[in-house]
Amino acid sequence: MPPLKAVLADDEKSLCVHLKNLLRQAWPELQICAEARNGLEALAMIEKHRPDIAFLDIKMPGMSGMEVARKAAALCRIVFVTAYDQFAVQAFENEALDYLLKPVEPERLARTVQRLKERLQNRKLDDPAPLQAVLKSLQIHLAAGAPATYLKWIKVPDRQSLRLIAVEEICCFQAQDKYTVVRTEREEFLIRKPIRELIEELDPQTFWQIHRSTIVNAAWIDKISPSLTGSYVLTLKSRSGTFTVSRGYRDRFKSM
Amino acid sequence: MVSYRWQRKKGPTLKELGLTALFSTIIAVLLTYTYADGPFWAYWVISQCIGLSICTLCCGCIALFKPQTTWGLAGVLMLAIIAGGIIGGAMGAWLSGIELPVFTYKKTYGLRVLVMSLLFGSVGAYFFVSRARFSEIQEMLQEERIQRLTSEKHAVQSQLKMLQAQIEPHFLFNTLSNILSLLETDADRGKKMLGDLTRYLRASLAETRSQWSTLGSEMELVGAYLNIFKVRMDDRLKVHIEMDAALKEIPFAPMLIQPLVENAVIHGLDATIEGGAIQIRAEQENGLLRITVADTGQGIGAGPSQGLGLANIRERLNALYGRQGRLIITENQPRGVKAVIEVPYAAA
Repeated sequence: MPPLKAVLADDEKSLCVHLKNLLRQAWPELQICAEARNGLEALAMIEKHRPDIAFLDIKMPGMSGMEVARKAAALCRIVFVTAYDQFAVQAFENEALDYLLKPVEPERLARTVQRLKERLQNRKLDDPAPLQAVLKSLQIHLAAGAPATYLKWIKVPDRQSLRLIAVEEICCFQAQDKYTVVRTEREEFLIRKPIRELIEELDPQTFWQIHRSTIVNAAWIDKISPSLTGSYVLTLKSRSGTFTVSRGYRDRFKSM
Repeated sequence: MVSYRWQRKKGPTLKELGLTALFSTIIAVLLTYTYADGPFWAYWVISQCIGLSICTLCCGCIALFKPQTTWGLAGVLMLAIIAGGIIGGAMGAWLSGIELPVFTYKKTYGLRVLVMSLLFGSVGAYFFVSRARFSEIQEMLQEERIQRLTSEKHAVQSQLKMLQAQIEPHFLFNTLSNILSLLETDADRGKKMLGDLTRYLRASLAETRSQWSTLGSEMELVGAYLNIFKVRMDDRLKVHIEMDAALKEIPFAPMLIQPLVENAVIHGLDATIEGGAIQIRAEQENGLLRITVADTGQGIGAGPSQGLGLANIRERLNALYGRQGRLIITENQPRGVKAVIEVPYAAA
């Protein structure tokens, strides 16, 4: 039987070297055919060398270890390597997937090597279903952590440069002629994007439209008081005056 | 000029009306005994009519015209008192149906009512206005107290967040594995990295507990942090730090620069395959101390939101320097992010 082959991937060079040295001691017969520095390289190396095992760092530029695993699961066995990722580790444990924690300890590596040897004896790949299930659940978790779909920054022209205003900082948006006024606690900026486009792109959990020409950041609301005419008056923490909720936008407040 | 924050939205309150009635009763008693020429009830009816109409008109006029200055308020009250006196006087005369000698003869009745109204009305109005101002001051004190308490709570919270942010487990374990591997392959570099980690941890732990540090030790902390990343990212990270030696001893708030550097390295540079450069510059100009952290990474839109970390810096700048402390984020040219902290420059 020809020796088993492995590809290592870690963006930090010395960690790659370290793992290689440890593997040489724990598994001298294993042939390490390539070391990759980023996710794209790792996938290319796996496709080129067709190794039996790929040791993948999870956090890599270009493409994360998770994404590489999703694409390469049918080609080789995956061993994840991570410094700290409690959600991922929990998921790996649940599905009995192989993983190593950095700094890699020789005893732990020896156990993993033992397991890999047993499973790879007949050179048959495991059922990729558990791996795919874990990746899918982690993807949902990762997506929940970073909802990239909503606007996070508003770019405003400021002298020669483009200022970036974090949406958390913005108290409200108000339409003014052809422009939209962006108000933070201390400053005001004019942007060209109209209110109706902004409301589509902002996170509806935090940004509430209360008038055809006004969007407020719910996190900045100080108090909401019912007005004499059956509507609601909002006061913002930024002391930028009061805002009356117009007829079409009252429903949100009625249920409060 | 004093400006009035209190603005009435309604007419007089029951309490004010009650006090006015009491006040008018006292006037009626006074007038009855001073002149002793008419029944008490007639004086009482006229006084009540005048008092209550002045009170209603004063409150109504303040709500309507919302005077912002002392003179404005005095003018409005004067008009309201005169109008109230005329209306109340006419009503009182009609209700009581008695011509009292104090207000003798129809010709001078109006004039006398006016004089009385202005005299007693002014006293009454002065009483009510000072009462309102007093309660306004009380309210302001209360508000200030609440604000101080919340800002203290915020300070503790942001300190906790800072602590959690520094001992970021991913950073710690990755750095430890690097040190471990270097100790085997290149012991000298390994030792140096261990030194940098120790310096970084010691400085950051000590600094979260003290409110003030110096710009020099902040830069040292950032330097140790970047040294660690230079090893970890190898040739993917280039570092330029510029600071005038004279600025070293300037007092500076701890852990304001480090999060910006961390954002630049982790979200901007380490996330790209080719890496890039980080430039840190501290300079003083026109009474301002300006610290610039610029990177040539992937730019801010691409990475995860850093809003909370930056909000934390902004909050602390606000707490320490008020409106004079600013954090400005712009796009760096040709790529990446440029973050600038501006605080008033105070020579050491």
